[in-house]
Amino acid sequence: MPVTVTGRSARFDGVCTVEEALPLLEFLRNSVDPEVDLSSCTWLHTALVQLLLIAVPQMAALPADPVLARWVTPVLTPATTAAVGQNRNFDG
Amino acid sequence: MPTLLERFIPEAREHLETAATGLLKLEQNPSDELLVNEVFRAVHTLKGASGLFDVPGLTRLVHAGEDLLDAVRSSLITFTPDIVDALLDALDRVSSWVDALERQGRLPDDADGVSVEFANRLRAWLPNVDVTPAADTQAAPVPLDWLAELPEADRTEAFAEIVAGGAPLFAISYTPDEGCFYRGEDPFNLFPQLPGLRALRVFFREPPATLSETDPFHCGLAFRALVAQPRVEIEHLFRYVIEQVAIAAVAPEALIIPAGPADGEAADPEFLEDARRLLTARDYPGLRTAIEAWRGMSAGRAWPLSISHWLDAVLAAPLPNATWALALLDCLATGLVQPIGPPATTEISAPAVVTASGTALDLTPEKPMAARILAEQRRIIAMAEAAGPPARRVAAVEATVSHLLASLGWSLRAGELASAAAEAARGVPARLLGLITVLENRVEAAVASPAPIPPSATALLAAAADQPAPAEGTQHARVLKVDQAKVDTLMNLIAELVVTKNGLPFLARRAEEVHGSRDMGREIKAQYAVIDHLAQEMQRAIMDVRMLPVSDVFERFPRLVRDLARRLNKRIELKIVGEETAADKTIIEALGDPLLHLVRNAIDHGIESPEQRLAAGKPEAATIQLKAFQERDQVVIEVSDDGSGIDPMAVRLRAFEKGMIAEDKVDVLSDQEAINLIFLPGFSTSEEISDLSGRGVGLDVVRAAVEKFSGQLMLSSHKGEGTLVRLSLPLSMAVARVMLVEIGDALFGVPMDGVAETVRVPRSRIHRVKRSEAFILRDAVVPLFRMHTLLGVPRDEVEVDEEAVLVARIGGGLAGVIVDRLREGIDVILKPLEGVLAGIRGYSGSALLGDGRVLLILNLKELL
Repeated sequence: MPVTVTGRSARFDGVCTVEEALPLLEFLRNSVDPEVDLSSCTWLHTALVQLLLIAVPQMAALPADPVLARWVTPVLTPATTAAVGQNRNFDG
Repeated sequence: MPTLLERFIPEAREHLETAATGLLKLEQNPSDELLVNEVFRAVHTLKGASGLFDVPGLTRLVHAGEDLLDAVRSSLITFTPDIVDALLDALDRVSSWVDALERQGRLPDDADGVSVEFANRLRAWLPNVDVTPAADTQAAPVPLDWLAELPEADRTEAFAEIVAGGAPLFAISYTPDEGCFYRGEDPFNLFPQLPGLRALRVFFREPPATLSETDPFHCGLAFRALVAQPRVEIEHLFRYVIEQVAIAAVAPEALIIPAGPADGEAADPEFLEDARRLLTARDYPGLRTAIEAWRGMSAGRAWPLSISHWLDAVLAAPLPNATWALALLDCLATGLVQPIGPPATTEISAPAVVTASGTALDLTPEKPMAARILAEQRRIIAMAEAAGPPARRVAAVEATVSHLLASLGWSLRAGELASAAAEAARGVPARLLGLITVLENRVEAAVASPAPIPPSATALLAAAADQPAPAEGTQHARVLKVDQAKVDTLMNLIAELVVTKNGLPFLARRAEEVHGSRDMGREIKAQYAVIDHLAQEMQRAIMDVRMLPVSDVFERFPRLVRDLARRLNKRIELKIVGEETAADKTIIEALGDPLLHLVRNAIDHGIESPEQRLAAGKPEAATIQLKAFQERDQVVIEVSDDGSGIDPMAVRLRAFEKGMIAEDKVDVLSDQEAINLIFLPGFSTSEEISDLSGRGVGLDVVRAAVEKFSGQLMLSSHKGEGTLVRLSLPLSMAVARVMLVEIGDALFGVPMDGVAETVRVPRSRIHRVKRSEAFILRDAVVPLFRMHTLLGVPRDEVEVDEEAVLVARIGGGLAGVIVDRLREGIDVILKPLEGVLAGIRGYSGSALLGDGRVLLILNLKELL
């Protein structure tokens, strides 16, 4: 499973498709103070981005994947945009 | 390297040509299935290719044509001349749009409306008439006011990139359809696939439902992005959802939006004054230092700080734009938001490939793009294996791959792609997939090594060791399509060489006369002979390249004759003979208009109505013949008809009525002389002015055009039997041969084709007739003119026993011109007089001599 739930924490692994939307919604609805770990996520489907934007869970770890770090991280954590905006060596 | 669009344009013209020619033939023979298929294929391919570009109007119209042809092909409707008319009209329109695309890189503004109108007209013929206007996918202008919402850091960086000469920027606004997840779309992830993505904003269209109410499969997001990448590539990525996407070009200054609230507080006037002074002095480094210092003192307020960063960005450009900098300083001075550039709104129909900054799409640095296109083709083929008749998809793949090859400047063995595609269409895609693999490997290699890939077909296929050799091993003649301008450049260079070599004899003479070295002179002359020979060979070779068949001009006439005949209710058959005769491109192009006038005249004035013809005992259908052939170094075109011919008496009377000839001349003129009067400006025998001809312009234009290219025009006609017009023009004309003459101290040239002969005339044989002079040349009186008088050159009154006379052919007669000395004939490149010299009469141009002197070429006709 690309999204594994352990207690109040959900861990995203590799390619996370629209299939994960229902389980993720379930998790976000039922957890108190949910937390997500995107560190090893390499693809985040729009539906999942949308859910994370609605629920605004704690970010336990931001994506390590350079493309996600450049484009997903600023969307999910608007406050840190400026800091992350400096890191952009992926598109060579 | 030609861009995709540059490749598309000639190709589109070819398809249009094929379709139009096919349609005309079909009209004669409506049941010819091969022809229907040929026309259909041309239109279908054109539609497919046009889909690669931002030309919705064109694609829509071609699509309508394709549907109509498809209905004809499947015998749902039968062909009528009216359908042919409608289709030809549509093709004409498309053709004019292709011209517009070539000129401006986009369709005319009214294209969309016209396209709907024409398409409906075409669709009206379809069996199930469905004239509901096609959904207008053309979006309204894209407002770009949301640019401010993009992160400032991203905007600054994008700005810095574009002012430093980076790729042009496009703003994308994408509002996916709410149910898109169900169709497997993943809107957000499209964006990171754009290597040129520079800024991205994701937001909810409407305030989102709460977590407990939200439907996870309902897409409520919308996206706005800034992309530095050619528009076609963006459109390609978004091609499945293109109607949900608005793309607009972004001018760099539209990005300059200082962040933070404008606080209405003016900045330190001393700093501003200093800054403006530095800006006026173009002291950009100084200004940047001043800004840096000022920033240090005024830390704290967000807005001025942001402005100062923008000033930095503007000034950091290789060529800073002072207007923008000044506007930013004004912002600081007033503490208010000031407009930086023009309003930040652009039309969505911004040029597709050629952008505002004139940068054309070029795939060279972006081979990965090619890789993606190829991967996409692979996917489409896989689709074809699973679902439905694969033929159409394979055709699309074939077209895309060939476009890609063309744009990369690569080629495959002739027929290789087509036969692989044919196999794939029959359900055996292995070979086509193999080809794509080969190409993918090549693309990868090209990315890895910046060295250009040898564009040879064999090199490409050498990698395809596992590929079966094509069954038909025949090697087709390889045709290289080259931009005409390149050939012209080459020709100009060769022509310069031809002229430059003329300097060698001068050099040889100097070696002999000045340096006294005869050996050296002889050697130079020997070298000259070799270079001369080579130059002439080169010239012949390049002339050959520039040779075009006259079919290039003839091919428009079947259509023209058909249309005019239908309009005038005449029955006309057009015969074309010798269309393969070739002549230089300039000549072929120059022939177009004169021929058009002649054919129109023949149809309008020459050919009688079917009733008149039957009454005169002629076949009901008239014949117009266009015949081309080569005669020595001339190309001859004859336009003949079997119509009513020209009545010499009517011409005489008409010319007299119009005051073109005196009364006493009416009877004296021979019939042939009378007929030639119709070439006089303003002559027209037609009673009515029709929109075809008869405006009194026409034949004199023909004569002028032909004479401009040193051609000749001859007309013969017999009343009741028809008319024949004969144009003869030189085969080529880049290098002209002129005869050098000395007049006073100066050297002039006289075009050789106007020189009949040169003679020396003893003074005693020059007769004075009143104020004019003349001499007898073989029992004919030839008028004499003194060039000194004509040119106003003083002449040393040295008594000479005989005069050097150049006898020139002028307007059918001979005239003698007295010069000081007659010299040799040489080859020159004739350049027309330009600029302030353009209006000077008496000269037809100038040329450069081998020793660097400028030679003026006399136009005797104008002088005498």
